[in-house]
Amino acid sequence: MEDLPDHASWSKWFERYGPRLLLCARQWTRTLADAEDVVQEAFVRFWKHQRGLGGEPLPLLLTSVRRAACDRARGESRRTAREEQVADHEFEGGTLFEPLREGDDRRAEIEAALRGLPVEQRKVLVLKIWGELTFEEIARQLDIPANTAASRYRYALATLRKELTAPVP
Amino acid sequence: MNDDFSDLEAELKRMRPCAPSPELQARLAATLDRPTTPAAQPASIDRAAIFWRSWRWVLWPAAAAAAVALALVVTHQPGVVAPSAGPAAQPVAKTAAEPIAATQADADLYKPVSAENVLCDSRDEGLITLDDGTAAHRVFQRYLDTYTWRNPHTNASLRWTVPRDEVRVVPVRAY
Repeated sequence: MEDLPDHASWSKWFERYGPRLLLCARQWTRTLADAEDVVQEAFVRFWKHQRGLGGEPLPLLLTSVRRAACDRARGESRRTAREEQVADHEFEGGTLFEPLREGDDRRAEIEAALRGLPVEQRKVLVLKIWGELTFEEIARQLDIPANTAASRYRYALATLRKELTAPVP
Repeated sequence: MNDDFSDLEAELKRMRPCAPSPELQARLAATLDRPTTPAAQPASIDRAAIFWRSWRWVLWPAAAAAAVALALVVTHQPGVVAPSAGPAAQPVAKTAAEPIAATQADADLYKPVSAENVLCDSRDEGLITLDDGTAAHRVFQRYLDTYTWRNPHTNASLRWTVPRDEVRVVPVRAY
Protein backbone atom coordinates (compact mmCIF):
# COMPACT_ATOMS: atom_id res chain seq x y z
CA MET A 1 0.00 0.00 0.00
CA GLU A 2 1.07 3.61 -0.44
CA ASP A 3 3.54 4.90 2.08
CA LEU A 4 2.46 8.51 2.39
CA PRO A 5 2.55 9.83 5.90
CA ASP A 6 1.08 13.29 5.53
CA HIS A 7 -2.36 14.81 5.12
CA ALA A 8 -2.34 14.33 1.35
CA SER A 9 -1.94 10.58 1.71
CA TRP A 10 -4.83 9.80 4.02
CA SER A 11 -7.17 12.34 2.48
CA LYS A 12 -6.47 11.03 -0.98
CA TRP A 13 -7.03 7.49 0.22
CA PHE A 14 -10.18 8.48 2.09
CA GLU A 15 -11.53 10.34 -0.91
CA ARG A 16 -11.24 7.15 -2.91
CA TYR A 17 -12.51 4.60 -0.41
CA GLY A 18 -14.45 6.67 2.14
CA PRO A 19 -17.78 6.60 0.26
CA ARG A 20 -17.70 2.81 -0.01
CA LEU A 21 -16.79 2.43 3.65
CA LEU A 22 -19.65 4.70 4.59
CA LEU A 23 -22.14 2.79 2.46
CA CYS A 24 -21.09 -0.49 4.08
CA ALA A 25 -21.13 1.08 7.55
CA ARG A 26 -24.70 2.22 7.00
CA GLN A 27 -25.79 -1.39 6.89
CA TRP A 28 -24.59 -1.97 10.42
CA THR A 29 -25.63 1.27 12.08
CA ARG A 30 -28.91 2.97 12.82
CA THR A 31 -28.26 6.42 11.44
CA LEU A 32 -25.98 8.18 9.01
CA ALA A 33 -24.31 9.96 11.92
CA ASP A 34 -23.59 6.63 13.60
CA ALA A 35 -22.17 5.31 10.34
CA GLU A 36 -19.83 8.30 10.04
CA ASP A 37 -18.67 7.80 13.62
CA VAL A 38 -17.97 4.15 12.89
CA VAL A 39 -16.07 5.00 9.71
CA GLN A 40 -14.02 7.58 11.58
CA GLU A 41 -13.11 5.15 14.34
CA ALA A 42 -12.25 2.38 11.91
CA PHE A 43 -10.26 4.59 9.58
CA VAL A 44 -8.22 6.21 12.35
CA ARG A 45 -7.49 2.78 13.83
CA PHE A 46 -6.46 1.48 10.43
CA TRP A 47 -4.35 4.47 9.51
CA LYS A 48 -2.51 4.63 12.80
CA HIS A 49 -2.01 0.96 13.55
CA GLN A 50 -2.88 -1.38 10.71
CA ARG A 51 -1.79 0.05 7.40
CA GLY A 52 1.73 -1.26 7.87
CA LEU A 53 0.50 -4.82 8.07
CA GLY A 54 0.35 -5.28 4.32
CA GLY A 55 -2.25 -7.04 2.25
CA GLU A 56 -5.34 -5.59 0.69
CA PRO A 57 -6.47 -2.58 2.73
CA LEU A 58 -10.17 -2.57 1.81
CA PRO A 59 -11.10 -5.94 3.38
CA LEU A 60 -9.15 -5.02 6.48
CA LEU A 61 -10.89 -1.67 6.68
CA LEU A 62 -14.31 -3.22 6.19
CA THR A 63 -13.55 -5.66 8.99
CA SER A 64 -12.56 -2.73 11.14
CA VAL A 65 -15.77 -0.90 10.22
CA ARG A 66 -17.88 -3.89 11.15
CA ARG A 67 -16.10 -4.34 14.46
CA ALA A 68 -16.48 -0.66 15.25
CA ALA A 69 -20.20 -0.93 14.49
CA CYS A 70 -20.50 -3.95 16.78
CA ASP A 71 -18.55 -2.18 19.52
CA ARG A 72 -20.85 0.80 19.20
CA ALA A 73 -23.87 -1.45 19.40
CA ARG A 74 -22.43 -3.26 22.39
CA GLY A 75 -21.92 0.01 24.21
CA GLU A 76 -25.58 0.80 24.27
CA SER A 77 -27.84 -0.30 27.04
CA ARG A 78 -29.92 -3.17 25.70
CA ARG A 79 -27.45 -5.48 24.15
CA THR A 80 -29.66 -8.10 22.59
CA ALA A 81 -32.13 -5.67 21.13
CA ARG A 82 -29.31 -3.61 19.75
CA GLU A 83 -27.59 -6.51 18.12
CA GLU A 84 -30.84 -7.21 16.35
CA GLN A 85 -30.86 -3.58 15.29
CA VAL A 86 -27.33 -3.91 13.96
CA ALA A 87 -28.49 -6.81 11.86
CA ASP A 88 -31.63 -5.19 10.56
CA HIS A 89 -30.97 -1.59 9.69
CA GLU A 90 -32.81 -0.37 6.70
CA PHE A 91 -30.38 2.16 5.27
CA GLU A 92 -32.11 4.95 7.15
CA GLY A 93 -31.51 8.60 6.50
CA GLY A 94 -30.45 10.37 3.34
CA THR A 95 -29.60 9.17 -0.09
CA LEU A 96 -27.15 6.38 -0.68
CA PHE A 97 -25.68 7.34 -4.03
CA GLU A 98 -24.53 10.38 -5.94
CA PRO A 99 -26.94 11.65 -8.60
CA LEU A 100 -26.63 10.02 -11.98
CA ARG A 101 -26.10 11.86 -15.20
CA GLU A 102 -29.08 10.18 -16.79
CA GLY A 103 -31.36 11.52 -14.09
CA ASP A 104 -32.23 11.21 -10.44
CA ASP A 105 -35.24 8.99 -11.02
CA ARG A 106 -33.07 6.00 -11.82
CA ARG A 107 -30.97 6.55 -8.70
CA ALA A 108 -34.09 6.77 -6.56
CA GLU A 109 -35.46 3.63 -8.17
CA ILE A 110 -32.29 1.67 -7.47
CA GLU A 111 -32.10 2.95 -3.89
CA ALA A 112 -35.71 1.98 -3.27
CA ALA A 113 -35.09 -1.48 -4.68
CA LEU A 114 -31.99 -1.88 -2.52
CA ARG A 115 -33.87 -0.81 0.58
CA GLY A 116 -36.54 -3.36 -0.24
CA LEU A 117 -34.12 -6.28 -0.33
CA PRO A 118 -34.00 -8.71 2.57
CA VAL A 119 -31.26 -7.54 4.92
CA GLU A 120 -29.08 -10.62 4.55
CA GLN A 121 -29.17 -10.36 0.76
CA ARG A 122 -28.50 -6.64 0.75
CA LYS A 123 -25.46 -7.01 2.99
CA VAL A 124 -23.90 -9.50 0.61
CA LEU A 125 -24.72 -7.36 -2.41
CA VAL A 126 -23.24 -4.19 -0.92
CA LEU A 127 -20.08 -5.94 0.24
CA LYS A 128 -19.67 -7.56 -3.17
CA ILE A 129 -20.45 -4.62 -5.45
CA TRP A 130 -19.17 -1.63 -3.48
CA GLY A 131 -16.94 -3.34 -0.93
CA GLU A 132 -15.30 -5.31 -3.75
CA LEU A 133 -14.94 -8.37 -1.54
CA THR A 134 -14.79 -11.93 -2.79
CA PHE A 135 -17.42 -14.40 -1.66
CA GLU A 136 -14.85 -15.96 0.67
CA GLU A 137 -14.16 -12.58 2.24
CA ILE A 138 -17.88 -11.85 2.53
CA ALA A 139 -18.36 -15.24 4.16
CA ARG A 140 -15.75 -14.37 6.77
CA GLN A 141 -17.29 -10.95 7.38
CA LEU A 142 -20.79 -12.28 7.84
CA ASP A 143 -19.88 -15.65 9.34
CA ILE A 144 -21.71 -17.63 6.70
CA PRO A 145 -20.53 -20.22 4.16
CA ALA A 146 -19.17 -18.84 0.90
CA ASN A 147 -21.79 -20.74 -1.06
CA THR A 148 -24.50 -19.07 0.97
CA ALA A 149 -22.97 -15.69 0.23
CA ALA A 150 -22.96 -16.50 -3.47
CA SER A 151 -26.57 -17.62 -3.51
CA ARG A 152 -27.73 -14.60 -1.52
CA TYR A 153 -25.95 -12.40 -4.04
CA ARG A 154 -27.72 -14.19 -6.88
CA TYR A 155 -31.10 -13.87 -5.18
CA ALA A 156 -30.48 -10.19 -4.55
CA LEU A 157 -29.66 -9.55 -8.19
CA ALA A 158 -32.71 -11.50 -9.30
CA THR A 159 -34.93 -9.48 -6.99
CA LEU A 160 -33.42 -6.23 -8.17
CA ARG A 161 -33.92 -7.19 -11.77
CA LYS A 162 -37.56 -7.93 -11.06
CA GLU A 163 -38.03 -4.63 -9.25
CA LEU A 164 -36.17 -2.36 -11.59
CA THR A 165 -37.42 -1.31 -14.94
CA ALA A 166 -34.93 -1.59 -17.76
CA PRO A 167 -32.58 1.43 -17.88
CA VAL A 168 -33.26 4.02 -20.53
CA PRO A 169 -30.69 3.47 -23.28
CA MET B 1 -24.76 -16.23 -13.22
CA ASN B 2 -22.44 -13.41 -14.12
CA ASP B 3 -23.59 -13.55 -17.72
CA ASP B 4 -27.22 -13.33 -16.70
CA PHE B 5 -26.75 -10.36 -14.42
CA SER B 6 -23.71 -8.70 -15.95
CA ASP B 7 -25.70 -5.70 -17.20
CA LEU B 8 -27.28 -5.17 -13.80
CA GLU B 9 -23.96 -5.63 -12.01
CA ALA B 10 -22.34 -3.11 -14.33
CA GLU B 11 -25.09 -0.61 -13.67
CA LEU B 12 -24.79 -1.06 -9.92
CA LYS B 13 -21.04 -0.64 -10.06
CA ARG B 14 -21.52 2.66 -11.85
CA MET B 15 -23.48 3.95 -8.86
CA ARG B 16 -21.13 6.01 -6.72
CA PRO B 17 -21.90 5.94 -2.98
CA CYS B 18 -22.37 9.35 -1.38
CA ALA B 19 -19.23 10.92 -0.03
CA PRO B 20 -18.86 11.30 3.74
CA SER B 21 -19.76 14.71 5.11
CA PRO B 22 -17.16 17.50 5.31
CA GLU B 23 -17.56 17.30 9.09
CA LEU B 24 -16.26 13.74 9.09
CA GLN B 25 -13.29 14.75 6.97
CA ALA B 26 -12.62 17.63 9.35
CA ARG B 27 -12.73 15.26 12.32
CA LEU B 28 -10.32 12.92 10.58
CA ALA B 29 -8.00 15.80 9.80
CA ALA B 30 -8.09 16.89 13.44
CA THR B 31 -7.09 13.39 14.50
CA LEU B 32 -4.66 12.35 11.78
CA ASP B 33 -2.99 15.69 11.09
CA ARG B 34 -1.95 16.21 14.70
CA PRO B 35 1.71 17.14 14.85
CA THR B 36 3.78 14.06 15.54
CA THR B 37 7.44 13.31 15.33
CA PRO B 38 8.37 14.19 11.77
CA ALA B 39 7.66 11.35 9.39
CA ALA B 40 8.41 8.85 12.11
CA GLN B 41 4.91 7.50 12.52
CA PRO B 42 4.81 5.18 9.50
CA ALA B 43 8.27 3.82 10.22
CA SER B 44 7.34 3.03 13.79
CA ILE B 45 4.21 1.26 12.60
CA ASP B 46 6.24 -0.84 10.21
CA ARG B 47 8.79 -1.62 12.88
CA ALA B 48 6.03 -2.70 15.20
CA ALA B 49 4.61 -4.98 12.56
CA ILE B 50 7.99 -6.50 11.82
CA PHE B 51 8.65 -6.93 15.53
CA TRP B 52 5.34 -8.72 15.88
CA ARG B 53 5.99 -10.98 12.92
CA SER B 54 9.44 -11.84 14.26
CA TRP B 55 8.45 -12.50 17.83
CA ARG B 56 4.96 -13.86 17.60
CA TRP B 57 6.19 -17.44 17.90
CA VAL B 58 7.81 -16.53 21.17
CA LEU B 59 4.96 -14.35 22.35
CA TRP B 60 2.23 -16.91 21.71
CA PRO B 61 3.63 -19.53 24.12
CA ALA B 62 4.34 -16.78 26.64
CA ALA B 63 0.77 -15.55 26.34
CA ALA B 64 -0.52 -19.11 26.67
CA ALA B 65 1.58 -19.64 29.79
CA ALA B 66 0.28 -16.40 31.27
CA ALA B 67 -3.27 -17.44 30.48
CA VAL B 68 -2.75 -20.82 32.13
CA ALA B 69 -1.39 -19.11 35.22
CA LEU B 70 -4.36 -16.76 35.22
CA ALA B 71 -6.76 -19.67 34.83
CA LEU B 72 -5.14 -21.48 37.74
CA VAL B 73 -5.45 -18.41 39.93
CA VAL B 74 -9.04 -17.89 38.85
CA THR B 75 -10.10 -21.47 39.39
CA HIS B 76 -8.68 -21.45 42.91
CA GLN B 77 -10.61 -18.37 43.96
CA PRO B 78 -13.71 -18.92 46.06
CA GLY B 79 -16.95 -18.55 44.21
CA VAL B 80 -15.51 -19.49 40.86
CA VAL B 81 -17.09 -22.29 38.93
CA ALA B 82 -14.72 -25.15 38.33
CA PRO B 83 -14.64 -26.64 34.84
CA SER B 84 -17.89 -28.45 34.40
CA ALA B 85 -18.45 -31.79 32.79
CA GLY B 86 -20.72 -30.41 30.11
CA PRO B 87 -20.61 -27.60 27.60
CA ALA B 88 -23.15 -25.40 29.35
CA ALA B 89 -21.71 -22.34 31.06
CA GLN B 90 -22.63 -21.73 34.67
CA PRO B 91 -22.89 -18.37 36.38
CA VAL B 92 -20.56 -17.56 39.22
CA ALA B 93 -22.08 -17.12 42.62
CA LYS B 94 -20.80 -14.18 44.60
CA THR B 95 -19.52 -14.99 48.06
CA ALA B 96 -19.92 -13.09 51.27
CA ALA B 97 -16.19 -12.57 51.35
CA GLU B 98 -16.36 -10.08 48.52
CA PRO B 99 -16.26 -6.44 49.47
CA ILE B 100 -19.62 -4.80 49.55
CA ALA B 101 -18.57 -1.37 48.42
CA ALA B 102 -17.47 -1.29 44.84
CA THR B 103 -14.57 0.98 44.12
CA GLN B 104 -13.62 2.45 40.79
CA ALA B 105 -10.96 -0.23 40.50
CA ASP B 106 -13.66 -2.85 40.89
CA ALA B 107 -15.51 -1.28 37.97
CA ASP B 108 -12.61 -2.17 35.69
CA LEU B 109 -12.32 -5.76 36.86
CA TYR B 110 -13.32 -8.73 34.80
CA LYS B 111 -15.06 -11.43 36.78
CA PRO B 112 -15.05 -15.06 35.73
CA VAL B 113 -18.51 -16.14 34.69
CA SER B 114 -18.04 -19.57 33.22
CA ALA B 115 -15.61 -22.39 32.77
CA GLU B 116 -16.48 -25.28 30.54
CA ASN B 117 -14.69 -28.19 29.00
CA VAL B 118 -15.79 -30.18 26.01
CA LEU B 119 -14.49 -33.66 25.30
CA CYS B 120 -13.31 -33.68 21.69
CA ASP B 121 -11.52 -36.98 21.42
CA SER B 122 -11.15 -40.14 23.51
CA ARG B 123 -9.32 -43.33 22.67
CA ASP B 124 -8.17 -46.40 24.49
CA GLU B 125 -4.45 -46.78 23.93
CA GLY B 126 -4.36 -50.36 25.16
CA LEU B 127 -3.27 -52.29 28.18
CA ILE B 128 -0.22 -51.40 30.23
CA THR B 129 1.32 -53.01 33.28
CA LEU B 130 1.66 -50.90 36.39
CA ASP B 131 4.60 -51.04 38.80
CA ASP B 132 2.75 -53.40 41.10
CA GLY B 133 2.14 -55.80 38.25
CA THR B 134 -1.54 -55.09 37.77
CA ALA B 135 -2.96 -54.39 34.36
CA ALA B 136 -4.57 -51.10 33.39
CA HIS B 137 -6.03 -49.35 30.39
CA ARG B 138 -4.28 -46.22 29.18
CA VAL B 139 -7.00 -43.81 27.97
CA PHE B 140 -6.15 -40.64 26.07
CA GLN B 141 -8.68 -37.78 26.12
CA ARG B 142 -8.54 -34.37 24.51
CA TYR B 143 -10.62 -31.52 25.91
CA LEU B 144 -11.30 -28.00 24.79
CA ASP B 145 -11.44 -25.79 27.85
CA THR B 146 -13.12 -22.40 27.61
CA TYR B 147 -13.06 -19.77 30.34
CA THR B 148 -15.10 -16.59 30.16
CA TRP B 149 -14.67 -13.40 32.14
CA ARG B 150 -17.10 -10.49 32.05
CA ASN B 151 -16.93 -6.92 33.21
CA PRO B 152 -20.34 -6.37 34.79
CA HIS B 153 -20.08 -2.62 34.40
CA THR B 154 -19.34 -2.47 30.70
CA ASN B 155 -20.73 -5.88 29.74
CA ALA B 156 -17.53 -6.56 27.83
CA SER B 157 -16.38 -10.15 27.92
CA LEU B 158 -13.13 -12.03 27.48
CA ARG B 159 -13.08 -15.65 26.39
CA TRP B 160 -10.04 -17.91 26.48
CA THR B 161 -10.08 -21.32 24.84
CA VAL B 162 -7.25 -23.81 25.04
CA PRO B 163 -6.93 -27.51 24.15
CA ARG B 164 -5.96 -29.88 26.96
CA ASP B 165 -4.73 -33.46 26.68
CA GLU B 166 -5.34 -35.89 29.51
CA VAL B 167 -4.03 -39.41 29.93
CA ARG B 168 -5.88 -41.60 32.41
CA VAL B 169 -4.81 -44.95 33.71
CA VAL B 170 -7.82 -47.11 34.53
CA PRO B 171 -7.08 -50.35 36.40
CA VAL B 172 -8.49 -53.47 34.83
CA ARG B 173 -10.70 -55.36 37.20
CA ALA B 174 -11.37 -59.04 36.89
CA TYR B 175 -14.56 -60.42 38.34
